[in-house]
Amino acid sequence: MTEPASVSATAIPSARGGLEHRLLKLLGAIFLVVIVFYIAVPILVTVAMSFNDAQMIRFPIKAWSLRWYADFAGSPQWMDALKNSFVIAAGTAVISTVSGVLAAWSFERHAFAGKGFLYLVIMMPLFMPGVVLGLGVAMAFGGLQIGGTAVYGSRVLVMLAHSLWAMPLVFMLMEATFRTLDMRVVEASYDLGGRPLRTFLEIVLPSVSTGLVSSALFAFVISLNEFVMALFLTTRDTQTLPVLMWLSLRSAGTPRLAVAAVILASVVMASLALVMVFYAWRLRRMRSGGGRAAAA
Amino acid sequence: MRTRDRLAPWLLMAPALSIAVVFFGLPTLFMARMSFNLRPDERLYVPGFTFEHYAGLISDPLFLAAIWTTVRLAVMASLCTVLLGYGFALLVWLKPARWRLGFIALAVCPLLISEISVIFGWWMFFPRNGLLSFALVSSHLIDDKISLLYTEFAAFVGLVYLSLPFCFFILLSVFDGIDKSLLEASADLCARPLTTAREILLPLTRTGLVVAFAQSFIWTIGSYATPSALGPDTLWTIGYLIQEQMLGKHNWPKAAAFSMVLTAGVALLMVLMRRLMAQRKAFHA
Amino acid sequence: MPQGYALELRGVRRRFGSVVAVDDVTLEVEKGEFVTLLGPSGSGKTSTLRLIGGFEKLDGGHILIDGQRVDHLPPYSRDTATIFQSGALFPHKTVAQNIAYGLRMRGVAEAEVATRVHGILDVVRLSGYADRYPAQLSGGQKQRVALARSMVVQPAVLLFDEPLSALDLSLRMQLRAEIKRLHDEIGFTGIFVTHDQGEAMAMSSRVAVMDRGRIRQIDTPEKVFHEPADEFVFTFIGESSCLPVRIAAGAAFDASGAPVPLKLARPLADGEWRIHVRPFALKFGEQAARAENRLTATHSFVEFLGQFRRHHVRAGDLELFVDVEGDEPPCAPGASLEIGWNDADMRAYRR
Repeated sequence: MTEPASVSATAIPSARGGLEHRLLKLLGAIFLVVIVFYIAVPILVTVAMSFNDAQMIRFPIKAWSLRWYADFAGSPQWMDALKNSFVIAAGTAVISTVSGVLAAWSFERHAFAGKGFLYLVIMMPLFMPGVVLGLGVAMAFGGLQIGGTAVYGSRVLVMLAHSLWAMPLVFMLMEATFRTLDMRVVEASYDLGGRPLRTFLEIVLPSVSTGLVSSALFAFVISLNEFVMALFLTTRDTQTLPVLMWLSLRSAGTPRLAVAAVILASVVMASLALVMVFYAWRLRRMRSGGGRAAAA
Repeated sequence: MRTRDRLAPWLLMAPALSIAVVFFGLPTLFMARMSFNLRPDERLYVPGFTFEHYAGLISDPLFLAAIWTTVRLAVMASLCTVLLGYGFALLVWLKPARWRLGFIALAVCPLLISEISVIFGWWMFFPRNGLLSFALVSSHLIDDKISLLYTEFAAFVGLVYLSLPFCFFILLSVFDGIDKSLLEASADLCARPLTTAREILLPLTRTGLVVAFAQSFIWTIGSYATPSALGPDTLWTIGYLIQEQMLGKHNWPKAAAFSMVLTAGVALLMVLMRRLMAQRKAFHA
Repeated sequence: MPQGYALELRGVRRRFGSVVAVDDVTLEVEKGEFVTLLGPSGSGKTSTLRLIGGFEKLDGGHILIDGQRVDHLPPYSRDTATIFQSGALFPHKTVAQNIAYGLRMRGVAEAEVATRVHGILDVVRLSGYADRYPAQLSGGQKQRVALARSMVVQPAVLLFDEPLSALDLSLRMQLRAEIKRLHDEIGFTGIFVTHDQGEAMAMSSRVAVMDRGRIRQIDTPEKVFHEPADEFVFTFIGESSCLPVRIAAGAAFDASGAPVPLKLARPLADGEWRIHVRPFALKFGEQAARAENRLTATHSFVEFLGQFRRHHVRAGDLELFVDVEGDEPPCAPGASLEIGWNDADMRAYRR
């Protein structure tokens, strides 16, 4: 039996297709390498420069040492700035997490008029540039005095300004988290006599603890890194680390800035690591606490 | 019991709403009012009513140039961000699961770093004595040290760096919503990779592209630090002008007027974006 | 003063928009009774239960628990405890903490809480599981913890919201027997919701058959099965074959107008009827010949269902099935045969 003479007109041009495929794969790999490089460059440059022994910022780095780290630790101005950053970030985390969680819970649990409008009101500041928000708060509260102390320049004001970004984020995250909560568990609590407040604190919050901690972390990191609003709202005494870095950019071109950047990033990484540890601990406790594995 | 039920949601929302209203709503109104005040001499402002600041905006070539610069920069940066983000997200989406985590961790990094640190990083990369120059010279690609700092290119690089992660995550989630077997089906029907991309992927991800672009655009429009630190002194953005008027010249009404223009612009963009997304949703549904 | 009812519903109503989920339901439950609300989905049984528990708003009527009006009280102010379909155990608390929760909310002293928790764990046969977390339990164990959690607070009424529906068959049987045992031992007042009639019949002192928001019949399981109040109850409880016929001048015709060889002991009036018969009550062969009502049909096919065989037969347009124990085929396939039944096993309803 002879084979059919003609080859199908729709035969797959395998050889050509294979070449194109391989070319694309190569391009893809190159692209990824470029992107990885792109993202890594500023990070690597900063970390490297922080260990530079020289006075000036220049490449190549001829000598390595920790002297600028020591300099940072010994400089009251920079250490104060770090402390301010920390305090303000912690405050922002608390304020925005509390307000965001409560608002998200009310959205999830209750039905009321104007939800769409209120959602917009809460979320709008998130989309505004830092300049606009910072300017607004600085102008509106600039001359204000409460109980003898000026509101302007106070850390609390910065915390509240940062919450304009952090709180909507917490709200969005917690709204999504609450939606995954099994409402039957809430009903079970009511059913057994748990009043709403008790239910919220003892049943709801622990159930969403991972979402809660994540939100608080986001708020903390946002505030820690933010500097445009802080620039408008802080004074010499209350300035945060990023603000000090910005002000020092044009004038003091020493590796001290690199150290500051590394320290700032390290605080963020450390908080992230802490949170991961918390997750792991929680998961382990709930999976294998109290005894052998369950029988069928 | 009944009234308590009805009061409950408002009590719960009170903290969040008061923050939004007191620290955003009120200041916005305050700024709106301030933008009409007078500024005859060196005092911060004098209460009154005038359109001079707004009129000045339209007639002031500096301001118009700043608007043009801002928009131009934002458009280019957003386009580039979206292109890079799309490619990055696509490649990560196609890769097997064990690669994903690594790339996501990498993409998250710029988000965890302060803008100032990013600026500083590039600030050490671009100048004559920076890493770029050093690398190029020592590999004999060029003879003399070169500085790309204080160029528009440097500002551009910085802006893209900051919005890339957001774009990446938006587009990655869009890709994740696509059934991979669609690609297999397309290949099965003898479509070449580029064809599959053009005919299958692109239409399905169009909304995501638009959203990512719009998001990126909104963010870069308000940016002030990166362009002013990495770009040339003549690269004035609206953000920079606002900062200059407020902290430099202490001209509150003018600063407020600039800010109102920026606010209005962003609000308008948000509305447009929502409209676009609603339209798209109706189309796809 | 006469002994009050444990639970009373008077003209209870619940609306969802334009849909009436619970339509004028009245019910009196004595202490220690186990009443099942039985019905298909949409019958209002779950809504009724949730109204008793306080999870839904009452749109009309009254609910009394132990003689006290609870119409608009929230769940945490009512003396009820619910066992949910998914168990709804608190995932971040241990078994013991879950069970202790209700007692703590009622202000019981710590020492007593501990004793009662361990007591109830013994009763549901889960002693030793006190420190486990719900994620480590099987489905059946979770439901037993849910049971313990609700029973330990000794509520006036225990509410069961289809607690066995999510379990597989053998587990369902096990837990069913368990709940019945607990009821016999402890004597709690329970309202049980299910769509499974087997469950309802096996466990309850009374069954309330519900349809579209109303209670069609509420009686002991035997009465509901043998003396159904209306067509809905008859067809919902137990299986039945349906013969839709038109009677004209004493003769029966099917939907297409062809005559049906049906002989009825007591003739029906002219008109459209639906005749229902229980499959086990239909007889072949000589029993058929002696029966009060007879139908001539052709044998279609047989289904083997383990304990019995189901023979499908046709008479013109009409199809019915006859359940017979044993393996003897009544006739050759396709052959014609007589089927007979008695009046007591038949119900005829006008269309």
